[in-house]
Amino acid sequence: MMIYLYDGSFEGLLTAIYEAYYLKDSPEKMIAETDFVPNLLDITVTIETNTEKADKVYNSIREKISPRSLRNVYYAFLSEDPEVGSYIYRYLRLGWKMGKRIDEYLLEERVLAVHQLCQKVNKERHRMLGLVRFQQLQGDYYYATIDPDHNILALIAPHFQSRMGDQSWMIRDEKRDIAAVCFKGQWVIREIARGFIPRFDGEESQYQHLWREYFSSISIEERFNPSLQKKNMPKRYWKNLVEK
Amino acid sequence: MELQEKLKILSDSAKYDVSCSSSGSNRKNVKGGIGNAAYSGICHSWSDDGRCISLLKILYSNECVYDCVYCVNRVTNDVPRASFTPREVAELTINFYRRNYIEGLFLSSAIVKNPDHTMEGLTEVVRILREEHRFNGYIHLKGIPGADAALITKAGHYVDRMSVNIELPSNEGLKLLAPQKKKENILRPMGQINRQILQSREERKRFKGANTFVPAGQSTQLMVGATKDHDYKILKLTEGLYNSYQLKRVYYSAYVPVLQHPNLPKLINPPTVREHRLYQADWLLRFYGFEAGELLDEENPNFDNHFDPKTDWALRNINLFPIEINKAEYEMLLRIPGIGIRSAQRIITARRMAPVTYDGLKKIGVVMKRAQHFMTCQGKYYGEVGMRVGLIKQFLLPKETKPKTPSWQDRQLSFFTDMAPYRQEAINSIITGEL
Repeated sequence: MMIYLYDGSFEGLLTAIYEAYYLKDSPEKMIAETDFVPNLLDITVTIETNTEKADKVYNSIREKISPRSLRNVYYAFLSEDPEVGSYIYRYLRLGWKMGKRIDEYLLEERVLAVHQLCQKVNKERHRMLGLVRFQQLQGDYYYATIDPDHNILALIAPHFQSRMGDQSWMIRDEKRDIAAVCFKGQWVIREIARGFIPRFDGEESQYQHLWREYFSSISIEERFNPSLQKKNMPKRYWKNLVEK
Repeated sequence: MELQEKLKILSDSAKYDVSCSSSGSNRKNVKGGIGNAAYSGICHSWSDDGRCISLLKILYSNECVYDCVYCVNRVTNDVPRASFTPREVAELTINFYRRNYIEGLFLSSAIVKNPDHTMEGLTEVVRILREEHRFNGYIHLKGIPGADAALITKAGHYVDRMSVNIELPSNEGLKLLAPQKKKENILRPMGQINRQILQSREERKRFKGANTFVPAGQSTQLMVGATKDHDYKILKLTEGLYNSYQLKRVYYSAYVPVLQHPNLPKLINPPTVREHRLYQADWLLRFYGFEAGELLDEENPNFDNHFDPKTDWALRNINLFPIEINKAEYEMLLRIPGIGIRSAQRIITARRMAPVTYDGLKKIGVVMKRAQHFMTCQGKYYGEVGMRVGLIKQFLLPKETKPKTPSWQDRQLSFFTDMAPYRQEAINSIITGEL
């Protein structure tokens, strides 16, 4: 089987898709180098990321298919599913044939695969808008850690930028060692060293305490329903929650 | 009194208000301000009873002068009392909001001294939040029945949603359980809020900068199980509220037996199944084009425990089925049990491209267990037991309820039947001899 290996970045994947159109042997799969397990039968081509080529593909998706389709592809990519490169490749090939109506083919496997990943990512994005917990640091900074299944940091940062515009904050993705940092209304994504230890403000523990108090007294004892609670707020998110 | 103690008392008293929605408003942040509202609403946590926490839901005070029999805060009940100052509430809201614990504030209150005095206090809290803290997050405020119209108007310009709770769905219920409340006092502010919402919408069409008034609409709450009103009466009332007061939501709260009184029913647990059925029916009214009279009537005034209202309706109208998935109008697709709004829309989209197959329906998200009995797909009927109501019922009955005799928990709790008050733990302890 012919497999293209890309460097794991979105640009890398788009470059690989570009090459697939111009190189002679078109691949069956596209896999990020780090996810690839070598196999005797596979023939691999390692694709060098090229911003220019990636841009061409990016613009072509938006213009020849649709902005919505571009969004779907990007969201699906952030799922970090090991198969996502191949799914996107197949989806886009169909997209360039069908044009903007591709997203109406809801029963087509190639469309469904991307839509399902996109939905998963979007669901976690929305969930995380509520589950981020800021802690006040010395010097009036706010700091939060998250540990999401998908790489949604860049999708939630704009929400907090417009909401907490007057506040300096950092949301740190512990799984991926990156952080969104917002200062004076502007945000960027930075890599962050593992050893970083925040220092909390004196008032912080008092408000955490109040929140925990509120959390326990707002529950109606006669309706105790932990399974419903876990369904809505899966346990894997609890370790970053003040109240749990 | 410590802030923590107050928070404990006043959130504990507020928990029976079920509304916690933060949707319907898209208030923007302003320069130098904090917060905005997300139109879809955002849940921030889920408490141990599985209910969503979106807003800081507290009472301004629980020092009530009323004596409503069903209410924990009634004047004759011996509970700890507390009141916040407006600034305490504002501080708490801002600090919780900055930590992203909440989407905003839900502020209610007991009647302190009189309705006007109470409404003034509530309005002062929202004024401080909006004007001094420049807070643009979501605010849901209670309208106090009997308060002066001018006070309601003033508060309405600051908040996103307002609600006046009806609680008891009939006049007889009010007389019996809340003798100081009058139907007119509840409906008057609701009518006023509705008129002003419509008026402000008109104004904003013409002048973009016109003041908002309760942009996320108004809601109310009905208590289920504290009076002998049946489901049909409650649903008819709901329908009337949606049609004539343009309410955004009607909430139902299963009555939690917190007090004992000769006028109150003797319940062991809150009637949550009944509450759930009412919510399902509520959705059918608002999004599925059903009318209350189709779901229930005088002869059949309560919902079935085992079947959701739509399945129940379909079983009673089996002559309208099966419906062909590839031909039916959107409105008819919505009437098939197992097909919701999202799957109906997907079917419409997908079948423009190619006929929808049986496997395709599963991919779209249709619940085939229910839907199979009521539809055909490309002309073929897939139901496992045929179009026979009795057999379909058998098939759809939840497995675990078949052998077991219905326990008091699953049963529709009605006002007069005193059910055997055995709690499951009590039974267990009898078996283990731990009594």
